[in-house]
Amino acid sequence: MQRVGFRLGSSLAFRVIVSTVLLSLSVVWLTGSALNNQLSKGVKQVNLDSAIIEARSTFFNTQYRLALAQGLPESDVRRVIIDVITSATSIGRSENARQIAFLETPGQTDAKFNYEIKSEFLKVDSVPENFKIKVRKSSDIKWIYSSFAYPGNVSTPVIILADKVEVPNAGQYEMYFFISLANQNKTLELIRSSLLLTGFALVLLIGLITWLVVRQVVRPVREAARIATEFTSGDFRQRMDVHTRDEISTLGNAFNEMAESLEKQIARLENLSRVQQRFVSDVSHELRTPLTTLRMASEIIHGARQSFDPNVSRSAELLVAQLDRFERLLEDLLEISRFDAEVAVLEGVDFDIVSLAKRCIEDLTLVAAENSTSMLLIVSDETIMLNADIRRVERILRNLLTNAIDHADGKPIEVTIAHTEHDVAVGVRDYGIGIEPHLLSRVFDRFWRADPSRARVRGGTGLGLSIALEDARLHNGELEAWGRPKYGAHFVLTLPRREGSSIEARLITLKPTT
Amino acid sequence: MTLVMVVDDDQDLAEMLSIVLNGAGIDVDLVGRGDEVLEVFRNHPPDLVLLDVMLPGIDGVEVCKLIRAESMVPIIMLTAKGDTHDVVLGLEAGADDYMVKPFRHPSELIARIKTRLRRTNSDIAGLLAISDLSIDVQAHHVLRGKKVISLTRLEFDLLVALAKEPGRVFTRDALLSEVWGYRHSTDTRLVNVHVQRLRSKIEHDPENPEIVVTVRGVGYKAGALVHS
Repeated sequence: MQRVGFRLGSSLAFRVIVSTVLLSLSVVWLTGSALNNQLSKGVKQVNLDSAIIEARSTFFNTQYRLALAQGLPESDVRRVIIDVITSATSIGRSENARQIAFLETPGQTDAKFNYEIKSEFLKVDSVPENFKIKVRKSSDIKWIYSSFAYPGNVSTPVIILADKVEVPNAGQYEMYFFISLANQNKTLELIRSSLLLTGFALVLLIGLITWLVVRQVVRPVREAARIATEFTSGDFRQRMDVHTRDEISTLGNAFNEMAESLEKQIARLENLSRVQQRFVSDVSHELRTPLTTLRMASEIIHGARQSFDPNVSRSAELLVAQLDRFERLLEDLLEISRFDAEVAVLEGVDFDIVSLAKRCIEDLTLVAAENSTSMLLIVSDETIMLNADIRRVERILRNLLTNAIDHADGKPIEVTIAHTEHDVAVGVRDYGIGIEPHLLSRVFDRFWRADPSRARVRGGTGLGLSIALEDARLHNGELEAWGRPKYGAHFVLTLPRREGSSIEARLITLKPTT
Repeated sequence: MTLVMVVDDDQDLAEMLSIVLNGAGIDVDLVGRGDEVLEVFRNHPPDLVLLDVMLPGIDGVEVCKLIRAESMVPIIMLTAKGDTHDVVLGLEAGADDYMVKPFRHPSELIARIKTRLRRTNSDIAGLLAISDLSIDVQAHHVLRGKKVISLTRLEFDLLVALAKEPGRVFTRDALLSEVWGYRHSTDTRLVNVHVQRLRSKIEHDPENPEIVVTVRGVGYKAGALVHS
């Protein structure tokens, strides 16, 4: 639900549609109510006018008939009154119902007869008292909007019109003419509901139209966004379709031009780096044959060094040592070029990492002794099997160990192996010169030296840790470093025990607690 | 005197190789092109061939196949590439061993050559048996019934190594040191490829081996004896 809300909220189309609908809703509301007012006013006026005409004629007719009845006996006068009222009244509750109340104006003392009469449902209190007073004071027709209740309390809106009538021998009477407005109200109700319905439909249609229009604009924009995303994820062949000649097509063309230029640039860079990698690899290969010859020649000279004078003899030793170093450098460069070209492959086998570590330590014991340090192995189990490229794992261990020996400063080195069902970790800790924390991120850089003035004891290539990191990553593993000046350094290698899976947890804490 | 044929197009390296080999008391025939190998080989059959992979004429892997087609002479490939692909191609073409240039020590080359030339297990007298095969170590024969199966010296050594200790499971490392004379090597490709080649010659069904049996996660052992 929240996600849908977020998507709608972040959608341009949605926002445009909502604001359009809201705005048109208020416009429709305003015009609708104005129209409604105007119409109902008109309807009321028309009804009032016709009511006044009708009432006036009824009143005139009554007055006229009563004038003719001057001098007739009381029963005749009464018949005239009943006749007049009956003809102007429609009895019943129909919508056009007209009722009449014929009441004597109070306070007359010379009346001989009482002719008061009311339609069937009218009660004395159906006429508001203050209206009666108004009528008595006025000389013309008066009217008021009111309502009256039929028996059973069914209330009906009415207009009451009234005038004074002179009755022979009975003085002044007031005639109240009730006209039902039920019909008029029905008409007004109809107008209002039609207006509401029309307004609602209008808003709905406006919303729909906006949606259609917005879609026309938004669709290419969305398409552009989708293509840009795919472009970002590496598919540089993506282009926008441009078939119109408008702003959207300008966007499309601009985008396509950018894509074209980017693709070219990337292809150029890729080619450049491919050429460079190829070159490094070729150089390494081509160097191998003369290096082999050199190697054998130096070996023969070195073998016969006892028969040379001391300078030549020493030179032979240096020659052999430097060829060793040169060769290691060549190997490392070749390996790096394989990583760069992404052609390095894993050859997984099952092996015991504890015996591998033991063998590496054994092989380097002499070197460690030359640097007056030693290595101590702490393991969580006697054998820990894992499936990995043993050649690479061995190379990582050797690189970490030689690095530790180089920097141990004569203090002993601790090698820890820990494991779980899923992962295995090897920590190599030295207590030597250490490294500044801000330089830690650079220890895996190629040919990087913490202290350029300090010579490499082992004559390493400067590529060992970079290769170790690449080797670890190739296994989906991780190689991390910690260091503090004078407290030494700690390198932790974590590998999944099965080739192809990734590591679940760090088994050895990188930052030592002591 | 031992004769080694050195096939390499780099003249300086070839000369250097012959100096080193001569120093170790080995005679050398130098060949510079792949397409000249067979002729020289037939005229002066060497005790061992040292074969470069990159050769003008025919490349080393092809030359290896041609030699294997007519001889069981030990072949050591010289490769400038340590890449798996080339190594496996060479081994599958019939090379017994390979060395990646530059060699760590020239003496390592001599040692390899000598390992491949020496008469292994000459101390074992009489017959060994493995599955339905009998092995005459002295005469260098493998027999299935009366039929002689022709193996290279290396394949023979591999089979003998397994047969002389029938109960033992050999790790690949153990076989490398036993048969190839490597110490501390982790290159299991050599073992894998040669086991495949050996199986293709001696097994009834190389897909379901019964003579050289794989022990998963460890290595190989000799199959049970079958009395026919």
